[in-house]
Amino acid sequence: MNTPAALSGNGPADFPGILRHHGLAPEPPAHTPVTSHQSPVTQTHATTILAFKFADGVLVAGDRRATAGNVIMYDRADKVLEIDRHSLMAIAGVPATAWEMARVLEHSFHFFRRTQLAEMSLEGKVRALSKLLRDNLGFVLQGVGVVVPIFATFDAAAQIPRVYFYDPMGAQFEAADFAATGSGSPAVRAVLHHENTYARKPLRKLKASEAVLLALRALDTAAESDSATGGVDRRARVFPIVKLITSKGIETLPDAKLAKLFKSNLTD
Amino acid sequence: MHEEPFRWVEAIANRREYVEDQLAPGSPIVALGYRDGILLFTLSRERQKIFEIYDRIALGGIGHPGDLERLRLTAIELASTEGFARSADDVALRRLANYSLSPALKAAFEQIYGPPFLARLLFTELGRGDAPNLFLRLDYDGSIRTNGGSFGKTFEDFGVIAGKPQAIAQMESSLREHKHSELSFAEALRLAARTWSIGHLALSAESDAIVPAAARAEDHLREQLAHASVEAAILEKNAPLPATFRALAEDEVRTALA
Repeated sequence: MNTPAALSGNGPADFPGILRHHGLAPEPPAHTPVTSHQSPVTQTHATTILAFKFADGVLVAGDRRATAGNVIMYDRADKVLEIDRHSLMAIAGVPATAWEMARVLEHSFHFFRRTQLAEMSLEGKVRALSKLLRDNLGFVLQGVGVVVPIFATFDAAAQIPRVYFYDPMGAQFEAADFAATGSGSPAVRAVLHHENTYARKPLRKLKASEAVLLALRALDTAAESDSATGGVDRRARVFPIVKLITSKGIETLPDAKLAKLFKSNLTD
Repeated sequence: MHEEPFRWVEAIANRREYVEDQLAPGSPIVALGYRDGILLFTLSRERQKIFEIYDRIALGGIGHPGDLERLRLTAIELASTEGFARSADDVALRRLANYSLSPALKAAFEQIYGPPFLARLLFTELGRGDAPNLFLRLDYDGSIRTNGGSFGKTFEDFGVIAGKPQAIAQMESSLREHKHSELSFAEALRLAARTWSIGHLALSAESDAIVPAAARAEDHLREQLAHASVEAAILEKNAPLPATFRALAEDEVRTALA
């Protein structure tokens, strides 16, 4: 490891800079030819993640399946990652890159708070993820590192929940009511749009239990037509990861509660 | 100068005297273990003196603000890269101090053409599970003193620093008289404040006088509280997230002290 950047008195101030200083930042292999004829954006981001605002805050959920091509690698992947006390990042795309990104992000926020003696602003956090995605462009163009995340947080200043989604190159968009990415997202978007527009009440008026049930149903619906989405595995009792962010912080729903909610509302 | 060892020894002695002089007005910082974790306490006038370093490590420092800042950022950088490259569980205060910070401080202190660090640091690390807490004092010359538990020294669940050795000695002997590992937060805070007051009195005392009476310390504390801001932080054993550090709001501390 190199001499600490801080000892020289003019080291980089942000965590990705520190990682580069110590040679810990991931670099795309230099001599692999970039294949530009194939659009990387058309790659499947095999998974489904969603986030929507409900009465008390924002719900973030993701299925559990990790795939490689048409092989199911793992059926218990956790794609909803806690970044700090009020922020979640949900990931669709290449797990190796996405998890690393989440780790860099988590450390960046802590590093900023510890060094600058203040919490990073919401906009700063949103931009930090955007910058990581942009730095990842080399991997994306080589077709090995596409990540399409959703970032959800509770805005402490305005006391409202916020949801952002990104494209693989780092453009960020704030969602009004909901966001979904990954291979199963068309189905999820259809379900959420339908609920939001034509159901008895819009998403942002749902109680916590209603919101959780809707998330389970939406993911199960996505799994119906998308082989890369896990949905609800009734036989093995594997449920999606569902987390709620409210003004009080993050709550993870235990499997038992998800099972009970899901079972009690199935059509006979 | 370099070729003559006696001159070198003399230069180091002068330098030590100079650094001690610079540190002398440094107001005490008290850290002690209590039922729910570790409490750090001080009174400050101008700038912050208690900082978060990593998930389970906190720092209190006196000295020149520029030097403190460089050492603080170095500690955060080293802990963060270690925690990122390996795991947060691999970040250890003992290693951070022994292998990285102490050699850097020693080198700066003994290279007599370069500037030394004008800083005295108190690190604390919250023990994992049933492991004991670590309190570690790191001085401008790289010397380290910990709260014992090895080499025949009795284990002490506290650590203090101040500008002058007699202030440190008086605070330590006062804390040794109290069993504080089972204290509640409010009780620990009152003990820390009284200990701070004892140390602060010793800074202005003429000689190595005996520890002042409790009543005198309480009076002095009340006087000082009126003119300074209170700074306190805790490392919480049962924190909801891996990051256990929490800076306490001034109101919260004053209410508990009243």
